[in-house]
Amino acid sequence: MNFFSIKKNQEFILSLGVIALALGLALGASGISSEAGYAGIGPNFLPLLVSAGLFLCGGFLFWEALSGGVRNGPDSDPSQASQAKPCWSGMIWMSAGLLLSAALITTIGFILSCALCFACAAHGLRKAVASSASSESPPHIRSWLIDVVLGLAISAPVFWMFTKFLAISLPGLTQSGWL
Amino acid sequence: MDILNHLLAGFATAGTPVNLLWAFVGCALGTAVGVLPGIGPATAVAMLLPITSQVDSTASMIFFAGIYYGAMYGGSTTSILLNTPGETASMVTAMEGNKMAKSGRAGAALATAAIGSFIAGTIATIIVTLFAPVLADYAVRLGPPEYFCLMLLALTTVSAVLGQSTVRGLTALFVGLAIGLIGMDQITGQARYTGGVPELLDGVEIVLVAVGLFAVAEALHAVLFEGAVKESENKLSRVSMSASDWRRSLPAWLRGTAIGAPFGCIPAGGTEIPTFLSYAVEKKLAKGESLAEFGNQGAIEGVAGPEAANNATVTTALIPLLTLGIPVSNTTAILLGAFQNYGIQPGPQLFTTSANLVWALIASLYIGNVMLLVLNLPLVGLWVKLLKVPKPQLYAGILIFATVGAYGMRQSAFDLVLLYAIGLLGLVMRRFDFPTAPVVVGMILGPLAEAQLRNALSIGEGKWTIFLERPMSLTLLCVVVSVLVLPRILKKRKIAALI
Repeated sequence: MNFFSIKKNQEFILSLGVIALALGLALGASGISSEAGYAGIGPNFLPLLVSAGLFLCGGFLFWEALSGGVRNGPDSDPSQASQAKPCWSGMIWMSAGLLLSAALITTIGFILSCALCFACAAHGLRKAVASSASSESPPHIRSWLIDVVLGLAISAPVFWMFTKFLAISLPGLTQSGWL
Repeated sequence: MDILNHLLAGFATAGTPVNLLWAFVGCALGTAVGVLPGIGPATAVAMLLPITSQVDSTASMIFFAGIYYGAMYGGSTTSILLNTPGETASMVTAMEGNKMAKSGRAGAALATAAIGSFIAGTIATIIVTLFAPVLADYAVRLGPPEYFCLMLLALTTVSAVLGQSTVRGLTALFVGLAIGLIGMDQITGQARYTGGVPELLDGVEIVLVAVGLFAVAEALHAVLFEGAVKESENKLSRVSMSASDWRRSLPAWLRGTAIGAPFGCIPAGGTEIPTFLSYAVEKKLAKGESLAEFGNQGAIEGVAGPEAANNATVTTALIPLLTLGIPVSNTTAILLGAFQNYGIQPGPQLFTTSANLVWALIASLYIGNVMLLVLNLPLVGLWVKLLKVPKPQLYAGILIFATVGAYGMRQSAFDLVLLYAIGLLGLVMRRFDFPTAPVVVGMILGPLAEAQLRNALSIGEGKWTIFLERPMSLTLLCVVVSVLVLPRILKKRKIAALI
């Protein structure tokens, strides 16, 4: 029962989020000119329409959450993974990997930042698998090392392929074009 | 005769060694992403969109098309051998295919899927060759009101008709439309929702949205919720079909093609309906031994039919894309984005202004289908090895490619943060079962539809009745209303009949 009430709260938050987005769009639309020309509708027409549509959808979702949860939702399929307990620590590792590589890509270059992202994300996913299997986590340093090497082994050829063959510029650590 | 000449010229362009190589790499890559869970053709094409700034348009469209239908071949391999389908399109194949594989007939299932895909793909390509130019000739006569109604139809079907819930589909559509609004208004040049950030004047890149929603969200979902999911792999047996397999598959392939092909032609997207329909037909027609196999040991018709329907649909879906510029699925929406990167707007004029490109693309479909048959029948064992890639490394690797795609487009580290944010949005959507296709289609089709709407109203001097005065647009509006209303009435009737 507890699970369903959490789920229901989430649905409320979600529907309120949709409504908030609709109001934000409407607020933004009020600053757009309505100069219409021959068409009778100006550049602010579609923004207003979209925000009205979102508002209606948000209201409907709110009503659904109020009257017994979403219809035909993921819960109606009990075989799904959605019932599993979320693994937040794994999520944090993966997020850290993605955001760190975003922050560092221009300084340490594509290859290193992607290897870092790979290692963090793989570590997070391993944690997720381990936590559900309740088995012992793999030996720490060794698996980190493997992930870093694998990350380098994937990102380096990708970097060379894109920069050398396709002439798409990606940031490097040095000016040599190889790292 | 004209068509034949064009097609031969197309073969001449597509048959150059460089373009053949692009087609081959595209097919191979497409098969790989089809086989790998967690990454599909839409994601793969989106990640590779940066190449449009360097590679010439014909080569890259041949490449992207190879990925597009290569993934359909590869997807069936995964759904037959694994208990989780790689593509939504192969969900139906998984139902019977998995059962066949469990009872030791994986090889026959894979063979009927590959050969069926080849036959359906080739027949559908012939349909594209014959009908796309005719439709283009006709479509030249359509005005903005008709175009707007067609786009409205595509947007409606993609959001309200497909999927579990209309309200969630529409919410996703409006979110997509809102993303499409960011940037400069096409008609007056006014900035909308840019918040003063100059980068946003050009709008949000499709790569970011598609890769964020599909790849990053998929990885985040995997780490949060899928640690406990156990996968079982079925054993591969010799890929061959017995005489009775051939006898049972052939009519199923043809029926599947006949069901699938028309669905791709109309802007009503998605392969779910035709594949399910084909499955239902095969089950209904089955007699005796094959009927007993349905749902038990797995009937070969249940793989052959839907697989053919699937490939016929994705191939003929190129007709509305090329002749009308209307995408009906995630992948075709991103292909439209690729055209736009070259400054080409697909539409009826495409067959005259970019005849070379279009015919080379169509010719490459024939070539690609043959390549894929070879790649998938004798070499299937090679692809199956991809299923052994452990999940952590697979998803982490996908994130590297996501970074390339997102960063390579504009060389902006800020885009990577945005990519993560869109990934979070995708995670929430996935968690609450919101479809993602309406977001991508809405984002790309939204600005085009808006321009057509305002042009149409200008023609009508500001009167909305312009849509009712022209017979074609009135008809299309009636179709839009009926696709919205009919399923509901039918459902009510069904419920009433049950009570």
